[in-house]
Amino acid sequence: MTGVTKRFGPTIAVNDVSFEIWPGRVHALMGENGAGKSTLMKMLAGVHRPDAGQIAIAGRGVTFANPREALAAGVSTVFQELSLLPNLSIAENLFLGREPVGRMGIPDRTEMARRTTAVLAELGMDLDPNTLVANLSIADRQFVEIAHGIKADAQVLILDEPTAALNAADVQVLNSQIEKLRAAGKAIIYISHRMDEIFAICDDVTVMKDGNHVATQPLSELTPDSLIALMVGRELSDLFPDRAADVGPVRLSCKNLTLGSAATPLSFDLHAGEILGLAGLEGQGQSEIVRSLIGRHTPFGGEVAVGGQTLHLPISPERGVRFMQRLGVGFVPEDRKEEGLLLGASIAENIGIGLQAARPGFALLARVRDTAKRIMRDLDVKAQSPAMPVGALSGGNQQKVLLGRYLAADMDVLIIEEPTRGVDIGAKAEIYRLLRALAGQGKAILVLSRETVELIGLCDRLLIVHDRKLVSELAGRDATEHAILNAALTS
Amino acid sequence: MTQPTGTSRKTRAANRLFGRNSRQGNWWAALLIIVMTTILLIATTDDFATPRNASNLLAQAMPLIIVAIGQMIVIVLAGMDLSVGSVMSLTTAILALDGAPIVLIPLVFLAAAAIGLVNGIAIVRLNVHPIIATLSMQFIVLGIAQLLRPVAGGSVPDVVVNVVTGAFLGIPAPVFWAVAVVAIGWKIVHGSRFGLHLFAIGGGVASGQSDTAHNFGLKDRRNIVLAYILSALFAALAGFFIAGRIASGDPGVGSQFALDSITAVAIGGTQLSGGVGGLHGTILGAILMALLANGMNLANLSAFLQGAIKGVILLLVVALQSRKKMGL
Amino acid sequence: MGNLLRSMSRIPPAYFVFAALLATLWITKPQLMNMNVLGIFIRQVAPLGILVLGQMLVMRVRSIDLSGAGVLLLVNYLIASGLLRDVPLPLVLLLSLGIGCLVGLFNGYLVARRRVSAVIATLAVTVIITGFVQFLASGKPPGNMPDVMNDIYKMKWGPVPLPVVLWVALTGLMAVFLSRFVYGRFVMAVGENPTASHFSGVPVERTVLIAHVLAGFFAGVAAIVQSASVAVGSLRLGLEMPIDAVAATILGGVVFGRGDGGVWGPFFGVMCFAFLFVVMTSFGVPEPGKQITRGAIILLAAVFYGLSTRNS
Repeated sequence: MTGVTKRFGPTIAVNDVSFEIWPGRVHALMGENGAGKSTLMKMLAGVHRPDAGQIAIAGRGVTFANPREALAAGVSTVFQELSLLPNLSIAENLFLGREPVGRMGIPDRTEMARRTTAVLAELGMDLDPNTLVANLSIADRQFVEIAHGIKADAQVLILDEPTAALNAADVQVLNSQIEKLRAAGKAIIYISHRMDEIFAICDDVTVMKDGNHVATQPLSELTPDSLIALMVGRELSDLFPDRAADVGPVRLSCKNLTLGSAATPLSFDLHAGEILGLAGLEGQGQSEIVRSLIGRHTPFGGEVAVGGQTLHLPISPERGVRFMQRLGVGFVPEDRKEEGLLLGASIAENIGIGLQAARPGFALLARVRDTAKRIMRDLDVKAQSPAMPVGALSGGNQQKVLLGRYLAADMDVLIIEEPTRGVDIGAKAEIYRLLRALAGQGKAILVLSRETVELIGLCDRLLIVHDRKLVSELAGRDATEHAILNAALTS
Repeated sequence: MTQPTGTSRKTRAANRLFGRNSRQGNWWAALLIIVMTTILLIATTDDFATPRNASNLLAQAMPLIIVAIGQMIVIVLAGMDLSVGSVMSLTTAILALDGAPIVLIPLVFLAAAAIGLVNGIAIVRLNVHPIIATLSMQFIVLGIAQLLRPVAGGSVPDVVVNVVTGAFLGIPAPVFWAVAVVAIGWKIVHGSRFGLHLFAIGGGVASGQSDTAHNFGLKDRRNIVLAYILSALFAALAGFFIAGRIASGDPGVGSQFALDSITAVAIGGTQLSGGVGGLHGTILGAILMALLANGMNLANLSAFLQGAIKGVILLLVVALQSRKKMGL
Repeated sequence: MGNLLRSMSRIPPAYFVFAALLATLWITKPQLMNMNVLGIFIRQVAPLGILVLGQMLVMRVRSIDLSGAGVLLLVNYLIASGLLRDVPLPLVLLLSLGIGCLVGLFNGYLVARRRVSAVIATLAVTVIITGFVQFLASGKPPGNMPDVMNDIYKMKWGPVPLPVVLWVALTGLMAVFLSRFVYGRFVMAVGENPTASHFSGVPVERTVLIAHVLAGFFAGVAAIVQSASVAVGSLRLGLEMPIDAVAATILGGVVFGRGDGGVWGPFFGVMCFAFLFVVMTSFGVPEPGKQITRGAIILLAAVFYGLSTRNS
């Protein structure tokens, strides 16, 4: 890959990255959340197209319109997220689009089953190839995904966090499989957050940070510590305002929240005047924790005390958001376009909808124009008028409007997923100052973010989440990226 | 994301009961009701267990079986075809025109293919919701049928009547029809790559990963258009069968079939949200509907009340199927 | 140029169609262009116009209601059959409105709570009611409508027929309700994006449920006006009315989730229907031609919006 760049709107996800991978070697790709690893791999796999730069395989430049073309060129990918169809069997998923046909064009199910059994057996698995994927456990699904990648008989195999759902024994099976593929002369790209695995099976490592290429080195030259040092070490800029001097009483208390049948219960308190962050590697349960509080995730149990009431979890998915808003808890969802804003509606309507929602349906509309104007002024939303549709604003201004909705409704507790996702650097600083000012007014703020630096700079306290439990707590002023990664990775 | 490991035993039991984790859906409930109804009818009426009634029953069930197979093809894709009834009416109207059978019969299927093509293009190219596209097509096609034949009447070519009501080697024609239709249906739905891809595309829509099938390199748009063409062709075949039975053209003959076919498909365990279903369930569903109609006739129930009861059955079946999306 | 096209595509097609129809009528049948004749044409579509108020509401929250046919038939039968001969007329009318609301509540429960496909649910409700009413009537047409209803129907307020006054008044009320009350804002939000509405604290299910109840209520009102317009009850009321209501609503710029046309867009959509069938009759188009037009209007208007949403 040479000089590969990918932009999403104003944000540059991958900036001018070049590196080479070799047959017969396992190449680790490392970096913090949002470093651009996944985007880079999606370009290699044909999901995204690079805006600039070149991908060459065995010296020949290639462009992929879709994953199928990448596969045909010998690049096979096992992604983290679901790419199997739940209503098809393992065999059907493995052969979808290239089913062997027998007499009269009838798909040859015996042949598919036979070959599937063989591929699964190579991975040491003994599953009925006719089982529907919907009926598999998460770990088995992951193995089927891997089998899918291996079966393609590709020259380049990308494994994106293949072990996230696997236990130690399964990881062993996978590792021996990777050894075999390496011996067969395949080039393998391996993304993982587990240090021990990286050092056990990889030959080289490429480290990325903020979309940029940091280093490509043989792993023999590195220690776990020096590798973490390569991944972190960003300057804490003056984006961040000062921290709170002292905090007030408990505003929201979460007790014995249990995310899975076998998960360890977790408890935490959120105080007035503080910003509390949920840190850790991506997808370790942070989002499930906050969504459990508003009924959008169904935990196994637990209770939450807020606004003078104690609620037993899980709470109703249908009424949870409204109920929590009545208790003064505002939830700002991560996905601004799908879950947050009404893109076709005006700024004033978007800011006001929270206020209106608190009123009965057959009441007159609350007058929100002045409130909206005030909030637009306070948050410095750059728009001609409150009547402009939100969809026409930039990401930063959209995010401010979304936050403005909860300011207008005067919530005591704010739960914010990804406060600055897809927002440019100037707006980020403004949003940090705003959140700090809100905390200063006595509001309690719970934040989760993929950007560890953001959490360190912004939060008073950090809870490190790993594998759906709280593994550590750090004070914001003492926290470093190194310490957080260390806490998460060595838990 | 669904996590089988995280689901409680109760949900899993419920899943199994409603056939949620099987690709065929819950077809055995239909079978169970058929068996029970048959026993009940044999026990309570004298006329049911006669060869004449059995042959009658098959002939009565045949149009619904045919049209339900077509309906199932689009429902598995997470679509729906409300225009099938009008296509049936149009078919009888065309067959009752003055003309040589050699012209009329191909014309019927050409017209149906064209209607399916328009439906499919409106849906995949022009971004119209399947229900709206086929609902409007229902009226357009019905209008054309009424233009050709304002009221029931005329006569269809003898060959059509003979093919439907005759007998060969002493075996009534509907038996051959049943064998042929089941064979064709099986070939399309379960015996071809196209059929498997239908399930893949519909399953992607139902589980909120509508890009997945496309990423596997399936020609999703072409398959969807083809499915609507097939649905219309099956409807035309059903119309052909009815035309043979009534030996005339009737623009009102198909009016019940859009909803009846959806009921039959749904009662056979096919999920209206897509990706789950099967041919045997659909056939069982259609037979069940015919059996109920037969039973209600034998019990001398008013035809009007029968219509209402069919509506109640449809509501019950669709209300029991779970769906995430709200609205259309 | 692109901007002009885009803003053109936000104007409901109903206005253009209405202007074109009026012009056609003016040129081909100038003798019809007087207050009395036009009033009668418009009076004919008053029940449709009232039905459209409900249809528009449910379509704005991404649902649809085809049960109006059932409500119409049931109310028509109740008033004409003499089944409630001994009950005072106002009470019968009140009962009719209640029936409408109940049917709407049932639809709303199925669509919002049980997540049943709205087309299937409301079609099935129509099938059930139709079968039931025909069973009660044994397929024979019911008796006469009370004369007093027809007399009221024929009254005028100045030059304007009373049913038209009712229609315009209800439309005006609806416009105020949707633009000045919280519920109207909920409707806008749910249509725009149900998920985002949920996260904003909008009661999504309740909004859809109430939309269906209101649609049922308007179906009840439309049924009363329709019953008043005929001398004799009928069992031959088909799906045409609710389908025309869908067509008029789409023509008026309101389509699943998008309310660009407001309340008056669909109003003019109905006005189009007032003149469409007159123009078609004057050109000698037979009844099936109207059937085709019905379908074609829905399809073309849906294509119009399908393409404009795909491009944005």
